[in-house]
Amino acid sequence: MIAADQVQSWLDNQPVSLTDSAPSWLFDIRENALAEFEEIGLPSIRDEQWRYTNLKALKNRSFSPSTQTTLSIDIGTTNFPRLVFVDGLVDQDRSTALTELGVYNLAAYLQESPEKLEQHFGKTLPNRRHGFTALNSAYAQDGFVVELDKGQQLAQTIEVVFVSQTPESVSHTRNLIIAPANSQCTIIERHIGQSGEIYLSNHITEIIAGDNAHVDHYKIQQGSDQSFHFGGVFIKQGRHSNVKNHNINLSGLLTRNDINSDLLGEGAHVEMNGLVLGKGHQHVDNHTEVNHAVPLCTSDEYYKTVLDEHARSVFRGRIIVAEDAQQTLADQQNNNLLLSKKAEADTKPQLEIYADDVKCSHGATVGQLDETSLFYLKSRGIDNESARGLLTFAFANEVVDRIQIDAIKQELTKIIAGELLSGIEEML
Amino acid sequence: MLVIKDLHAEVFGTPILKGLNLEVKAGEMHAIMGPNGAGKSTLSNVIAGRDGYEVTSGTIEYFGKDLTELEADERACEGIFLAFQYPVEIPGVSNMAMLKAAVNSIRKYNDEDEMSAGDFLKVIREKADLVEMKQEFLKRSVNEGFSGGEKKRNEILQMAMLEPKLALLDETDSGLDIDALKIVSDGVNALRSPDRAMVVVTHYQRLLDHIVPDFVHVLADGKIVKSGDKDLALKLEAEGYGWIEGLAEAS
Repeated sequence: MIAADQVQSWLDNQPVSLTDSAPSWLFDIRENALAEFEEIGLPSIRDEQWRYTNLKALKNRSFSPSTQTTLSIDIGTTNFPRLVFVDGLVDQDRSTALTELGVYNLAAYLQESPEKLEQHFGKTLPNRRHGFTALNSAYAQDGFVVELDKGQQLAQTIEVVFVSQTPESVSHTRNLIIAPANSQCTIIERHIGQSGEIYLSNHITEIIAGDNAHVDHYKIQQGSDQSFHFGGVFIKQGRHSNVKNHNINLSGLLTRNDINSDLLGEGAHVEMNGLVLGKGHQHVDNHTEVNHAVPLCTSDEYYKTVLDEHARSVFRGRIIVAEDAQQTLADQQNNNLLLSKKAEADTKPQLEIYADDVKCSHGATVGQLDETSLFYLKSRGIDNESARGLLTFAFANEVVDRIQIDAIKQELTKIIAGELLSGIEEML
Repeated sequence: MLVIKDLHAEVFGTPILKGLNLEVKAGEMHAIMGPNGAGKSTLSNVIAGRDGYEVTSGTIEYFGKDLTELEADERACEGIFLAFQYPVEIPGVSNMAMLKAAVNSIRKYNDEDEMSAGDFLKVIREKADLVEMKQEFLKRSVNEGFSGGEKKRNEILQMAMLEPKLALLDETDSGLDIDALKIVSDGVNALRSPDRAMVVVTHYQRLLDHIVPDFVHVLADGKIVKSGDKDLALKLEAEGYGWIEGLAEAS
């Protein structure tokens, strides 16, 4: 582990006001989380779950929270109602007022419904957690909260933009999606940053899906190529609930995502889709965990990685099927495409099955572009670079094809085409 | 158009073509027949410029240019088209996208303007009718989940779109039932023109009932051992390839 005192410089700078105005339950959570962090520190490569992810680069850096909440970079326009967070705090001027729909920023929600928040805050966190999770619990000041009524169908997709714009800033954001019985919502998170800047974002989204609730959650990571991002998506699901998580990683120097779902009610379904496009010295680490605790649940994981230059990725997919979880259907695929000899992908499916009447399948591949397909395209007059681009695009776009919202699908296709098809995307 | 002299070629180090000669002129239809393993597919892959198919001696000239100097994509841009024996499935790339990229890449190479989206759609619809391909196939991923016959029709559609000067059809009849064979042959015949040459590689004579060749060549053990007109194909059909092996050994 990296002891807490080694990153003390960026802890000392946390604003004291964090804990000042908090209700006592939250104060306790923060105190406990801080104590937990003091004890466990940051993970090191000696931890099995962090074997391939070296945090040395963080040790001698200094990060401090920013107090600047005026947006200074262009975040583009959107057709969706949206909330904007700048360096971890809400930017009210840029955000649509959505409280009528049940969409808040965390700080406001804490004022408005502290009892409700107490009921849900931190309840999805895994038992075995790392230092960043503890830090998030200790320091998170803001984030978004979606709190639906029973049966509420949120027709509009909500977009939440997290902007990191201040150099050497650290932000801890905590988000909650509370979707009780028969409710439905679609939330897109975008993480963007000032290009070329070094910053750290530590981000957790908790999703509580009640019986028959549908939650579609997108997380699109487009941070600066020097940024550090630690993300957790922790999900608890009731009977016949359906949660889809789409985890799209397009940039950032070091990204680590932990995505867990506990399937706690019969008939629950979780879909986890992931895409990594890595280049330069990017490192992307995705750890998923699906916990089939009861019978008749299904899970479907589909992760794809494209690595160029010196990029590295890690995928660990853990599936636990409890003794009682009969008739579980679990599928997990992780396919990695290496475009350069120096790129490296590590993939680790991890199935722990304690029930006997289950169907679990998994597959992991690491490979290069298919020579026959390349020749086929070249024999049609498409030059080598464009042919490689097309095949890479096709490989990556299969993840995007699993997205059901056309607007998001088209936009992501465009972004990926821009990354991989430079010069020929207009031909498509 | 195409002049091949004393061609020797290896496939990943194994010698396959051993002194092949062939001349193809504009407007001509040539059929290359021969037993399995004679080198028929190797010949078409060598002309198309596939990696791993290496010319060790001899020459291939195309409109007076040394073809071996060009990459596969450059050969295609110069007007050479290979209809594959086993068309490749490319999940995630639609037929339409691939053809648009191909058409415009070839145009760019030849210093022509790109085809507008509207024109492209119009042309591709016409050509799809030619091979009786439903419009919905254009939006589907290249060959993915296509039947054998649909894949071969798709090859002819691509040929129709790319308008090559020299088309190589590698075992285009394999895996086709009678109806599909008819559609594919009609498509090929419709594309015959005085400026375009075609080389049809086939194991069986039946394709040549539909696509009537001007010349028939028999390829055995890496060489053309006999050439003739369409009657040669009928003789092969009646008598098999046994007598050819004698010719190959004698040469």
